[in-house]
Amino acid sequence: MEQIIANGFYLGAQYALVALGLTLIFALMNVLNFAHGQMYVLGGFVTYSIYGQFKLPFSVALICSGLTLAVIGALMEKFLFRTVIRRSKREESTMLLAAATAFFLDAVILLLFGEKQRGVPKIVSGVFVSEGLIMPYDRVVVGLVAILMIAAFMLYMQYSKPGRAMRALAQDRIAAQLMGVKVDRYTMIGFALGAMLAGIVGGLLVSITGVNSGIGGPISIKAFLMVMIGGAGVVGGAIAGGFILGMMESVGLSVLREYGDVTYLVIFALLMVFLSIRPNGLMGKPWG
Amino acid sequence: MADILEVAGLTKRFGGLVAVSDVRFSVREREILSVIGPNGAGKSTLFKLIASFLRPTAGEVRFKGERISGLAPHIVARRGVVRTFQETTIFRNMSVRDNVVTAHHLRSRASLAGFYFGTATARQDLEAFGNSADEILAFLGLASMRHEIASTLPHGHLRALGIAIGLATGPAVILLDEPFAGMNRDETRRAVELVRKVRERGITVLLVEHDMTAVMNISDRIVVLNFGQKIAEGVPAEIQRNPKVIEAYLGAEDESIGK
Amino acid sequence: MTTTPTTRIISAVFFLLALLVGVPLLISATGRTDLYYTLTSVALLSIASSGVWITFYIGRINIGQGAYALMGGYVSAILVVDYGVSFWLTLPLAGLFCAAASVLIGLPILRLRGVYFAMVTLVLTEVVRLLALALPVTNGAKGIVSIPLPTGIGIFGLTLVPDFASLANPRLAFYIVAVLLMALCFLGLYRLVHSRVGQLSQSLQQNEELASSIGVNIAYLRVIAYAISSFLGGVGGAMFAAISQSIYPSSFTVADSVNFMLNCFLGGLGYVLGPMLGTFVLYFGWDMLFQTGEYQLLIFSTVLIVLMLVLPNGLLSLTLSARRGD
Repeated sequence: MEQIIANGFYLGAQYALVALGLTLIFALMNVLNFAHGQMYVLGGFVTYSIYGQFKLPFSVALICSGLTLAVIGALMEKFLFRTVIRRSKREESTMLLAAATAFFLDAVILLLFGEKQRGVPKIVSGVFVSEGLIMPYDRVVVGLVAILMIAAFMLYMQYSKPGRAMRALAQDRIAAQLMGVKVDRYTMIGFALGAMLAGIVGGLLVSITGVNSGIGGPISIKAFLMVMIGGAGVVGGAIAGGFILGMMESVGLSVLREYGDVTYLVIFALLMVFLSIRPNGLMGKPWG
Repeated sequence: MADILEVAGLTKRFGGLVAVSDVRFSVREREILSVIGPNGAGKSTLFKLIASFLRPTAGEVRFKGERISGLAPHIVARRGVVRTFQETTIFRNMSVRDNVVTAHHLRSRASLAGFYFGTATARQDLEAFGNSADEILAFLGLASMRHEIASTLPHGHLRALGIAIGLATGPAVILLDEPFAGMNRDETRRAVELVRKVRERGITVLLVEHDMTAVMNISDRIVVLNFGQKIAEGVPAEIQRNPKVIEAYLGAEDESIGK
Repeated sequence: MTTTPTTRIISAVFFLLALLVGVPLLISATGRTDLYYTLTSVALLSIASSGVWITFYIGRINIGQGAYALMGGYVSAILVVDYGVSFWLTLPLAGLFCAAASVLIGLPILRLRGVYFAMVTLVLTEVVRLLALALPVTNGAKGIVSIPLPTGIGIFGLTLVPDFASLANPRLAFYIVAVLLMALCFLGLYRLVHSRVGQLSQSLQQNEELASSIGVNIAYLRVIAYAISSFLGGVGGAMFAAISQSIYPSSFTVADSVNFMLNCFLGGLGYVLGPMLGTFVLYFGWDMLFQTGEYQLLIFSTVLIVLMLVLPNGLLSLTLSARRGD
């Protein structure tokens, strides 16, 4: 039992970070970042290269992952999304652009890193063993790092100038503009931040589950699931969604194992029922 | 004359905010009743509650004695209570006439499939709709522009189109949403005439409005809201002299002038 | 520029003849029989895309058509292989199954709008794939293979449709069936758009509240549109299974769902023929890039991004005569 909870917790922390990135981008730009999973994968590969291949310290690798994705996110917002949002009134255009960027990143990843599954050596060796619980230390470390980052993110959004600007933008774009918030700059920062979070989680998890070029899409879908459960555009919702999904995966993995890969089926069926009652997720902005 | 529409203790809360609080009044058949009040008085919330685009937190709306609040909007329309929209029309890119023809949906005898396959009933329906549309457009003075594209219509005519669309449904009660907003004197005069003509067809009119002159001119009775509550009800002459009403509007004026 | 109904009928007939007669002649002349598969795929994919187009018409962004294509493919395959049902019967059955499923799924989700709805449909494709992997009847990852070719249809000893196994060139036969289905589909679509039903549906796109106020039961209309859309997806998928004579959980993925939407968008959401044009361009574009080897996806996605930057409203919006709904 404790095993399930512990696993769900450390996984949930990772997922929450991913969901936070996605929800931030959504709140700022009303764009569903299809490429979020690919950003995660890219982050994992950067860490793999720097930590696994160049043998630099893990923290350095993580920072590189974060920075790389931040830059990519900023570039994407500035040169791609900003143009399309300005020029097209339809929501579909930005959605298709997002899909195209996902394909693009998939292609780049494939070309740069190939198809093989890659892993890195454990960042911390040793296992915590107790009566009902077996927990490798590296998972603990990764979980703690994730939780620290979630806390840091929330503090940043709450108290820093960019954070407050972004929150204002997310709440009411026009009002924020009228109050002098530089929309372009902070939208870009927000997108970069969202991408960075995805990249960092990729770097964190490559040390535990490894990474390969094909998991980008499924990770994006998981991120969407989290945001649907918790509600889009709300920080609390993202965190809730992340932890809930992490917990459900953990439960599903142990409990439903005999029935095959039905964990996500169950999750989806539950989601359908849940959405019928609460279409906006647990805490979402009313949309629809 | 019987009460065709009853608003009974209607309350609407949005989270902590009470937009409409225990409002009650009745609308008599074939009268023109206006709901006025300063900005933020809850007029548009009340409007949406009556047309059933919002669910009341408490109280109900009754049409011909039967509850309509809480029913789906299209069912309320079917019962005979129809609202108009200020600036929107169904098809910006279609002709005025086509807009009105489409709005005849409630009078269809043929089913959707019938319309798709072009059955005899469907064809009869379409012909009837066409004739009815022509009649309505002529009645409202829009006949000369019936083939114009809706989006090219000037302000005032767009409003008239909105009313035409409402009339196409064959309503018993029509709810007009700020029909005189943003109009100059001439346009207002013409709009007032239109509203009178609508009543001549036997339709009860309930309108929500800001423009005091037009309202005093056209209403049989007026209901005044302030801060979500009804503060007065009566004929125009009474309302004009009512100290509470004057205070509500003057008070609001102070705020808008700026301290 | 407006065209009279007669001109339109004549051009449509011409187009159909060109496809049914002209193309086969061209292919036998050039010997490029591989093009049959390509063109058949385009036809079938455009049918699925037209389903997505219908959901756009009622104001929803549908990125889940791949789910119904997969569903339809499996239903047809299972019926043919396990129960010996004639393929031709399984076509409408697959469609109806998908329509029924879509009603169940649509009831809770169709009230969601915009990105929310899109998100849910995206997940849908993945879920059907998981279902295909998990259910015993779908044979898991191995899929269903060696699906026999369609049998013939005969009435009173007269052969209406020959048994495909007896044909020298089944690919040509599939091509003809696909083109006919596509023609039927787009004819139906055209009629829909120009009939009152289409106008009422469009009113949903423009303003749902106004549609309600004239008495349109918007929930009902949405479900019907979504059911028709899914029906088309199922039919497309079923035919695909017949042509490839196999179906796997990976036959239709999330990428395919995105592609269906792309096809509609590229062709232009305001035009009935949009999905057809979009599918054609995207499919051939992708095919042509095959020679670039490992750079295929990179170039493709780059071109896509550029297209989105330059033409935010689709290809057909380029035509000066904006013939809405032609």
